[in-house]
Formats: sequence, C-alpha cells, structure tokens
Amino acid sequence: MENLMQSAVCLLEQAAERFKNRIVFEDKDGTISFEDLRTKSRIVGSELISRVTTGQKSPVIVYLPKSINSIISFMGLLYSASPYVPIDYAIPMARMEKTIDNLLPSAIITDTEGKEKLASLNTDVDILLFDELVNGHQNDEAINNSLSGVCDLDCAYIMYTSGSTGVPKGVTVSHRGVLDYIEWIVSTFPIDENSIIGMQSAFHFDNSVFDMYTAFYTGAKTMIIPEILFMYPEKLMDYMAESKISVIFWVPTVMISVANGGVLENTSLPDLKLILFAGEVMPNTQLNIWRKSFPECMYVNMYGPTEATDIATYYIVDREFENHETLPIGKVCSNMRALILNDENKQCKTGEQGELCISGTGIALGYWNAPDITAKAFVQNPLNTKYHDRIYRTGDLVYENEEGNIIFIGRKDSQIKLRGNRIELGDLESAAAAIENVQSACALFNAGKQEIVLFIETTAEIKERKFKMELKKYVPAYMVPAKIITMDKFPHTSSGKIDRVGLRKEYIEV
Amino acid sequence: MEEIKDKLRAFIQEKFEIDDDPDFTDDVHLFNEGFVDSFGAVEIIHFIEQTYNIEITQKDITLYPMNTIEEIAEVVDSKLS
Repeated sequence: MENLMQSAVCLLEQAAERFKNRIVFEDKDGTISFEDLRTKSRIVGSELISRVTTGQKSPVIVYLPKSINSIISFMGLLYSASPYVPIDYAIPMARMEKTIDNLLPSAIITDTEGKEKLASLNTDVDILLFDELVNGHQNDEAINNSLSGVCDLDCAYIMYTSGSTGVPKGVTVSHRGVLDYIEWIVSTFPIDENSIIGMQSAFHFDNSVFDMYTAFYTGAKTMIIPEILFMYPEKLMDYMAESKISVIFWVPTVMISVANGGVLENTSLPDLKLILFAGEVMPNTQLNIWRKSFPECMYVNMYGPTEATDIATYYIVDREFENHETLPIGKVCSNMRALILNDENKQCKTGEQGELCISGTGIALGYWNAPDITAKAFVQNPLNTKYHDRIYRTGDLVYENEEGNIIFIGRKDSQIKLRGNRIELGDLESAAAAIENVQSACALFNAGKQEIVLFIETTAEIKERKFKMELKKYVPAYMVPAKIITMDKFPHTSSGKIDRVGLRKEYIEV
Repeated sequence: MEEIKDKLRAFIQEKFEIDDDPDFTDDVHLFNEGFVDSFGAVEIIHFIEQTYNIEITQKDITLYPMNTIEEIAEVVDSKLS
C-alpha cells in the first residue's frame, strides 16, 4: 500500500508487518502487540468514519488518561485521515472550553469519567466513548479510501501550548514533520528492536512523538511509566531497573529531581544505554551526577519548540563539562536549517547574539485557526528574496560558538520554561485578573529560584491556598505561582504601565 | 487504622505547616488541594516506611492511590496485617 507512506500511520502499518505479535507498548494495565495495535486502531478509525465528519480539517480531541488507549485513539484518527489532538486529562474545564472554541473539533474521544467532567461544558461537540469505538467494526475499505486522500503536508496532530493573551495556541504539525523527525532519530541514535524505551512525556507534550513513533520504526518496546512514579525518584529507579529500560527521553526537570533526590548513587541500571533530554535547559551540576553514576551511557542535549516537530537541534555530550558551564544545543537535525538573525534581520556572525529561526520539513503548518499569530511567527526568510521560504521565529536568543555549536541564552519575550512546561506569563496574568476582587495582576519569573511570583492588586484579603485553588480552575497546575504577593496599588511607570522592573527589584532581586 | 490516620495527620500538619483548617480532612486530595507539594510526597512515604518498618514498593505506588490520609492509611494497614 504505497499511499500509506504519506501518513505517519504508515510507520505503524510497516511495524505490524515486520514485528507482528511482539509487544510494542506496556502501561500499568497491560500490554499490546504491534498487530493488535493496528487492528484496534483500524477499528477505531472505521467507527470514526461512520460516526463523525473526518478528514484533515476535522480534528478530534483525545481526552483520556495516559495509556495505551490514547495511542489506539491517535492511530485510529490517523487511519480516518483526521488530526489527533491530545489534551491533558487534568485540564481545567475553563481551559478546555477555550481550546474547543479555537479548535472546533468534530468530536471528543474520552472515557466515562471524562464524559462526566465534560458535562459541565456548554458544547454540542459529539462525545464518543473509547470503549464503544474500540468494540466496533473494522471497515478496511473505508480506511483505505480515506488514507488514499492523505498527503504528507496534511496535519497529523495539533498540540496546544500557552498563548500570551490567555487563548491556547494549537501548533499544527504535518505527517512529513513526524516522518522526517523519526527517520533522523533512528539514523542518529542506536535504538533497535531490543531497546526498551521508558516514556516520561505526557501525550500533550511533543516529546511523546519520539516515544511512540520510534517504537514503530525500530520495533522497540515503549513502557509508559506511570506518572505517579515521577513524584518518588527512588521508586522510579526501582521501576527502571525492574523494567530493564535502555533508552529514556526525559524533560530535564525530572532528571534534575532524580539527581537531587540522591538516589542515583545507589542505583544500578546496567541496561540503560541512551539518555536524551529536551524541553528546557539541562544544568551540568545535575547532569554530572548522572554521568558519574552511569558513565557508559550516551547523553544528548536536544532542543526544539513544538513548532519544529519536537526537535530542531542536538548536541551529543562528548567531553567533560564543569558544573557552571552551559551545554550547547548543538547543530541542526537532518532536513532542518537554523538561522540566527540579529535585530536588523541580518545573519549573525560567530559569537553574535540573535534570534534563532528554523526552517525545514519539521516546521509546523502554523497555529490552528489563528492566522494573525501564525503570520507573526511563521514568516518569509528575510535572506531569501527568490522564492517562498518559510522560517519559524522561535523567540529564543542564541549565538553560535567557534565550533559551530549553538548556545541558548534566553527568551526575547515573557515566555518562560518551568519544569519543562512552556508558559506565557500573560496567560497566567489574564487568568488571575479574572478572579473576584483582583483589580490587576502581574506575573514575574524568578529564574534563580525557578518559580513564578504573582503580584495582585487588591484591597480584599486573599487566602493563598484558596486563591491558588481558584486559579487552578483556569490554568493548568504547573502554571500556579509559587508565591503570591498582594498590594493595594501597583507601582506604575511614567507611561502608566505596571512598573515590572521596580517590582522585580523590590521583591525578587533581594 | 484510626491510630495510623492520627499519626499521619499529625505528621503532615506539622511538616507542611497546615493550620487548623476545616478543609484539611482525611479524604481531601493532599496534592491537588495544595496542602502538600509534589516534593512532599517522598517525605510522607519515608515517614511511613520508617515509622512502621514497611516498604512501599513502586508497584504499590502504581497500583494504589495514595493521595488522601485515608488512602495512605489503608495501604499502611494492608501492609501491617
């Protein structure tokens, strides 16, 4: 079936032929083989085709706990030619509503508990129960028919990320982005059918693209690590040893907490070979603890926004680093290009600081149903006047060192990364400002302590825990600030804006 | 069981500086409701492992919810009996 090569689901088709009844995923409830995954996904796809509008402009939300069932739903959607949209099972309903308003999905796949939560929403979107879909009928003719219309620049998935005005942005990624990313992964790193991948990422984070599709491409098994274990570093290491995990791709926050938990020194993981990390800065202080405990492993620092299909650049850690040194984010992946532009849109010289811009097949198609913000971030390459050459402006400040490696410095705007989560401080501010008795809100990031400080202007008395609970109705838990400072009146600059510099000096840099 | 809950309640209240709060009940979700941060989970497990001389394995943590005083006490109780 040659037409399958246009879709990311072709990787599953090929894997089912090659690896048949070998186990591909394991979660806390059980396992599934390559063949069974294909069959169940085809059933889900067939049911979707017969029940709702499908196709590349008809995305469907998958609102399920992190499990094999999520993967069956994603693949079912790809078989039906619809983009899948993974949504955090812990999302506040107010945020779900905003997401639905932007996405206009043709359905939501969930379980009975999820359906109950969704009942509070005023929406007429079809709600489909996963259990009903997966117990339906397989119609291969309908699936082959829908797949034959797929082109590799169609959308494969949409992942929502924080937007500065409080409206989540749906990063729209193509099949080609996924296919090229995984091809680069398997041609660069030693992963094969004997590998066991320990999956940390949630499905609504793009690192999960690696954990799923790498297994299809190589025949590796992916263990979906129960999320609760990440609260208990010691138990997590027991799980790693018992499961014989050989490959991990984790967010640095998790690696840092394991290193700081003092559990690595007493842990033996003879199976562990490859350690990839991305999503935020990885400090050498903690990486060195890992390297000392597992000196034989290969360590790779990767970098990429969701808009670049997970990863755009990478650096294989090939020398000793002092704790205070910065790890490079390295060089671009295949079929990707990095451009560092200064304020005048000219290419930076070696050592000169500028904004990292990325082009190549991994670049997202834009933000779903949001042409204005898409036009600002995805622009014509200013160095190319000859043809349409789209680049993505990451907003990340970097420079290239003498060895040709890119070094990350920070952000151009008020976006931050906290425990691997991408947060627009404006997103939090607009949620806080909507709470009763709050006149105005201002969020600042304390990079040294890695915490958000929220200032609120109010004359009412605010109970911190209650206020945080209220905030959680609007924003994900990871956005809830560590510290809340209230005041009757904010200081203002001469132009009438909140004096953020003054607040920072008085409360953060003390 | 009551004794385990009393000990747990006293430990958590002192360790995480919780005032007398009507919301702080035996079945309140300690983490979601902001009484204990995620780092505190480790300290609670250490406390019960040491106090009762039991081991909470990664399988226990995966299979049994331990988010409320009630739930944690149940796991401890089942290990002791």
